[in-house]
Amino acid sequence: MFNYRFQWKQAYAKLPEMLDGAITTMQVAILSMVIGILLAILLTLFRRSGNRILGGFATTWVEIARNTPALFQIYMAHFGLAGLGLHLSPYQSLLLGITFNNAGYLAENFRGALKAIPDTQPRAGRSLGMSDLQAFRFIVLPQMIRISFPTITNQMVWAVLMTSLGVTVGMNSDLYGVTQDLNALTFRTFELFAMAAVIFYVIVKIIQAGAWLISRRLFRY
Amino acid sequence: MKTKALTIAAVAAVAITGPAFADKLDDIIGSGKLRCAVVLDFPPMGSRDASNNPQGFDVDYCNDLAKALGVEAEIVETTFPERIPALVSGQVDVGVASTSDTLERAKTVGFTIPYYAFENAVTANDKVEMATWEDLKGKTVGATAGTYEAIWLEGKVKEWGEGEFRPYQNQADVFLALSQGQLDATVSTVEVAEANVASGNFPGIKVVDKAPMVPDYVALIALREEQGLINYMNLFINQQVRTGRYAELYKKWVGEGEPADLTIKGVYR
Amino acid sequence: MFDTALTLNDFIFLAKGAGMTIFVTVISVALGTVLGIVFGVIRYQLGPVWSAPLMFVLDIFRSIPLLIQLVLAYAFLGTVLRLGLSGLSVACMVLTLYTSAYCAEIVRGGIEAVPLTLRRAARSLGMSWGQDMRHIVMPLATRVALPSWIGLALGVMKDSALVYVVQVTELLKSTQILITRLQEPLLLLTICGAFYFLISFPVARFGGYLERRWSND
Repeated sequence: MFNYRFQWKQAYAKLPEMLDGAITTMQVAILSMVIGILLAILLTLFRRSGNRILGGFATTWVEIARNTPALFQIYMAHFGLAGLGLHLSPYQSLLLGITFNNAGYLAENFRGALKAIPDTQPRAGRSLGMSDLQAFRFIVLPQMIRISFPTITNQMVWAVLMTSLGVTVGMNSDLYGVTQDLNALTFRTFELFAMAAVIFYVIVKIIQAGAWLISRRLFRY
Repeated sequence: MKTKALTIAAVAAVAITGPAFADKLDDIIGSGKLRCAVVLDFPPMGSRDASNNPQGFDVDYCNDLAKALGVEAEIVETTFPERIPALVSGQVDVGVASTSDTLERAKTVGFTIPYYAFENAVTANDKVEMATWEDLKGKTVGATAGTYEAIWLEGKVKEWGEGEFRPYQNQADVFLALSQGQLDATVSTVEVAEANVASGNFPGIKVVDKAPMVPDYVALIALREEQGLINYMNLFINQQVRTGRYAELYKKWVGEGEPADLTIKGVYR
Repeated sequence: MFDTALTLNDFIFLAKGAGMTIFVTVISVALGTVLGIVFGVIRYQLGPVWSAPLMFVLDIFRSIPLLIQLVLAYAFLGTVLRLGLSGLSVACMVLTLYTSAYCAEIVRGGIEAVPLTLRRAARSLGMSWGQDMRHIVMPLATRVALPSWIGLALGVMKDSALVYVVQVTELLKSTQILITRLQEPLLLLTICGAFYFLISFPVARFGGYLERRWSND
């Protein structure tokens, strides 16, 4: 009917290379989430600290992360920082860009989650002889993570999707980069990217299923 | 949704009623407009002037082709990775985009005879010790994604098993990365390398050596089945050389000297 | 530091790119919101089982990188169907569906936040389904949904930076074109980032203000 013949075989032969790319994509996403969550907790502490410099620093971070495109942040991590003399490889630039973005969004969400935890709780902890940090660590933090868990899951999905932006800084080992490389060789755009789309979809579903299982185990009442 | 259904129905109807076939060449002449995909970050073949209008060898070639057809030229900017998708998706009629005529690509698009031939050069950051192209081994190198030299360079890095290859989305990013020291060296066409070194926009880089590739013949591209259009463009390329326009544009954009030979000794086209 | 080759001409060029960013965003958010409301109401009315096919399709838009959605739509509509649509219309179509996929969830959340007892009361006062939706559900659901919707609209504006892949010259792409010519990456990128920030930040603040205000009463 249409003047186009699909060549799935040619694309299918590249599946092993694309799956290798998918592993790199997962690696970047997981690392960026782990570091991102830690940084977000740090930023949250900064904003609670009452120190104007630390608070200002955290707020600046959060607002830039939330109000500029992720593509811009990744591009800046590579070419912007290099302008200042700091050279990052494409992998590092992508990881830094996504981590920066993750930390910003999560810190904002953590702040919202904190409002749901009554101030009396950490104070009760303090009166039991806990230090400020202990009260945060053992009373506030677990509840904060639990309230934010759906957001953390969403952000993890976002992190996976954002790895596709790595091509702008010369990344060619992630799923999108591998696909684009193969496309340059054969120009079979539709078939190759359709396969990449399916792989991305499966990854996202695995993450969501995993998050559901974890939340059932961890957050049982 | 409704319009979409209508469109699909209309397309289906056309497909069923069958070939009232006007080919692309007729379409172009009929519409009075020739849309060319040109890469505009690839000086001297394509770039932008001070008021951000397209200029360069490829731009002039598109204008000449349009003039020969008696239609108006429209330059559509694409990057290297996007030029073929733009063609096959019908955004442009032809590609005047320095496209290397590889056999792999010819499975998807139709190539004319070569209209230009590049030699490739190795450009390195001043801080890196390099004397010949073989010193690329083990270095961090990069090139523009989807180009002939990128495919070659990536193959070499894989073959050597050391060093790192990074494809960037456009030529400017490659030279920016090279100038910043993110890359040790790059391979690009001699024309691009010299233009970029001479421009002074990228401090701290120098041309080191020629890259040992066979000359990179580039051709105009059209859809694979548009033989009428490809025939026409073959003759156009022939006429450009015959009338001296090729040499004239070479002088205008590339510089003094003999323009690249477009024939290959010992074989028919 | 401010010794720059940037001319007035280049600023006009950047402004055109910014205009394109705003144009694509406004079209996609407007159409996507209308579609999203329709999908959201359908989702709510039909219940999780019968709306599963629709939800499955919408979920795809939330599970695949936008970059790939754009490339695929472009390749499919152009290469396979040969519709000859412009890059701009493909960009708007994809972003509209992308917006509607997120918007549907927001709308559903909004409707579900309206207490069922309140709606039953409205119906028992003789209101029709339409009147109930119009006078009871809409005002209340809007309060819940608006802050998230503002977040979504801003998200779409930032994501529209990706439409460069279908040959639309929006703000980030115009910036890259100028970087190519002028080689002042830091300055130009800062201008570009500042533009996004200046639009996004006040609107986001306004959204936060609404959220705070409406959650108190």
